[in-house]
Amino acid sequence: MLDRLGTSLKDALKKLAGKTVVDRAAVEELVKDLQRALIQADVNVKMVMQLSQAIKTRSLEEQPPKGMTVREHVLRIVYQELVKLVGSAGEARLEPQIILMAGLQGSGKTTTTAKLARYFQRKGLRVGVICADTFRPGAYDQLNTLCTRMNVPVFGNPKEKDALKIVREGLPAMSGTEVVIIDTQGRHALEGELIQEIIDIQQIAAARHRWLVIDAALGQQAAEQARRFHEAINIDGVIITKMDGTAKGGGALSAVAETKSGIVFIGSGETSDDLERFEPDGFISRLLGMGDLKALVERAEETMAGQEVDVNAMLRGKFSLRDMYAQLEAVNRMGPLKQIMSMLPLGNMEIPQDAYDVTSTKMQRYRIIMDSMTGPELDDPSVMGSSRIHRIAMGAGASPEEVRELLRYYKMMKKALKGVRGGQGKFNMQRMMKKFGGM
Amino acid sequence: MFEGLRARLQKVQGTLENNIARTASPAGIASPPMEKAGSASEKDPTLLTRVKVLITDREFLIAEKDVEEPLFELEMVLLENDVALPVTEEILRRVKADLTGKRRKIGESVDDIVISALRGALLGVLGQGFDLLSYIQSHERPVKILFTGVNGTGKTTTVAKVASYLKKHGCSVVIGAGDTFRAGALEQIDVHAARLGIKVIQHQAGADPSAVLFDAVQYAEAHRIDAVLADTAGRFHNRANLMKQLEKIRRVMRPDLVVYVDEAVAGNDAVVRAYEFEKTVGADAVVLTKADMDAKGGAAISIAHTIGKPVMFLGVGQGYDDIVPFSPAQVVDELLGVGS
Repeated sequence: MLDRLGTSLKDALKKLAGKTVVDRAAVEELVKDLQRALIQADVNVKMVMQLSQAIKTRSLEEQPPKGMTVREHVLRIVYQELVKLVGSAGEARLEPQIILMAGLQGSGKTTTTAKLARYFQRKGLRVGVICADTFRPGAYDQLNTLCTRMNVPVFGNPKEKDALKIVREGLPAMSGTEVVIIDTQGRHALEGELIQEIIDIQQIAAARHRWLVIDAALGQQAAEQARRFHEAINIDGVIITKMDGTAKGGGALSAVAETKSGIVFIGSGETSDDLERFEPDGFISRLLGMGDLKALVERAEETMAGQEVDVNAMLRGKFSLRDMYAQLEAVNRMGPLKQIMSMLPLGNMEIPQDAYDVTSTKMQRYRIIMDSMTGPELDDPSVMGSSRIHRIAMGAGASPEEVRELLRYYKMMKKALKGVRGGQGKFNMQRMMKKFGGM
Repeated sequence: MFEGLRARLQKVQGTLENNIARTASPAGIASPPMEKAGSASEKDPTLLTRVKVLITDREFLIAEKDVEEPLFELEMVLLENDVALPVTEEILRRVKADLTGKRRKIGESVDDIVISALRGALLGVLGQGFDLLSYIQSHERPVKILFTGVNGTGKTTTVAKVASYLKKHGCSVVIGAGDTFRAGALEQIDVHAARLGIKVIQHQAGADPSAVLFDAVQYAEAHRIDAVLADTAGRFHNRANLMKQLEKIRRVMRPDLVVYVDEAVAGNDAVVRAYEFEKTVGADAVVLTKADMDAKGGAAISIAHTIGKPVMFLGVGQGYDDIVPFSPAQVVDELLGVGS
């Protein structure tokens, strides 16, 4: 369902290709698709309407700069407006500081606190954590377990009911550390007493950063919640959590707009290492469910996966095990195959779902098996007979079944890539490539 | 939680009524002679039909364009209140189908037509409620209830609340601590259970949740307990292995009810994950948490529509009593401002 969105956006963009005059109908269609994509990503409805209006007027009124095609012109405007919508990353300096975490119940404050501790620790700072969540049972145990694993000191007392007292006692106790992170209990805007509590905590702690933790799935409610948190403790950064699900995090954008701050970090996994600095371009791609828009705009078509995977050879049908090996290597660095494929300028090609279902551990196994193959075997897997398979399996410490499975996977990928060419003929394909190259 | 949605819905309802009333009145006053209607009909057949209907049946016909603008407004209202896009479209389709082409008798209140159309559409997506107590009474005990959902939606808190609710209504309860993954989860459920005076079956952290929950069921059978509430670790629907683990849990403990827990503040993703959970492990009922967060309530509508399963409870606060059974008819009437 979500992938289709990206496709329809691409289709809309394609309609603008080769036009000399900006076509009102095409722009309107593009804007409509954009609206759908953004609303499905939980971006505030009013913000979406403003954005689409701006894109429409600018596309139709601004003259395309010399040498720029109509499509590039519109694409650039879309990109600029989206960048404006998403904003820049919030600041997070590597220096001694106190950070106060705030957010709704279940948004992931405690997990994120541990992740942040890990982040600053890895950057070489001494980190301490104060558990000011005196309400939720198990909160201290949770934080303590997570932090003990990475040798980060935790101050807290599960028996104490007064969060202010904990913060008051915790700050001097943490005087030996450079970065102090205060985890607080979940609260929402309508809980007056709790809002007052966090105001009081801030008064005691005088935290340099007050970061609001927002669940990627939070919907239109985000704006209102962020506004009231902002009124209370002047939020200066937003952290989006649970980006490893399918939610797109558009709700966080309303929070950014309300607090006039930026997104600082993105949490995307259950371990303490799954925290990334915010990066606007990747976020935009995700919002729209399409490949890297910036890469398209900058005409840098051969960046990213291009060097790792020889797209041209693949499309010529010369997809050998070597290409697959390169692909698997790339996977390690760049994340799931699906993401890579969406970055490649392959248009709307359909890759069977099975191809994506290969897990990362399997990928690792495949690479080991391929390491046991000879050059000719990698170049032309058709020479592979049962005795070769046996030899490879022995060499890789795998079973012949696994080697056969790898070959099946290879065939599937090859077939999928062939399917792209199929029907249209070689020349068409090359033309298509050119077209995408210009995107 | 539905206050915001209610106010806006009532506004749209007003616009719809005005538009329909407006289109009706000029025709009513003019009451044109037959020849005039005939000449106009060549250009505009709808007018002829309208007049015909008016004269022969003393009724008005509601045309599509009369409702177009208020419907757009309705769409915005629903979207702003977190009703997911596909669900919004479905509701609009229903209201439209219900209203356009409809004949309205003179004297019949516009109000009633509009309300019944909206009410029908909303009830259509919200479905029926779910009465847990009567379910437990009418089934063989122990009734095994498995709670699922993504991370941080409030499964553990909900398990504690439901346990307290059942206990208060005279059912004996045992909790299975199936969240063996998250740090602090076992301590959390322990404290809840101790406060409520309810037995928890648990193994150590990192244990196989299926085994824990199997033991919980065994315990309940041996002690003639009415209900087993099985907590599980939060998991994302796109994690194949975690979803498989959940499938295994279901195979091993054979729950009578699978309850899907999600938060009322969730946006469009609510639909995606509800669908995926329903697809892999099924869901018999839904609990919506955090409904006290000034939530717009759209998630209730989205989820109920996507998986076609009733909403059983709303979580409305941090206390054990902050849980209320969900009754769709009442909510819809409240939204539209009819009834009490």
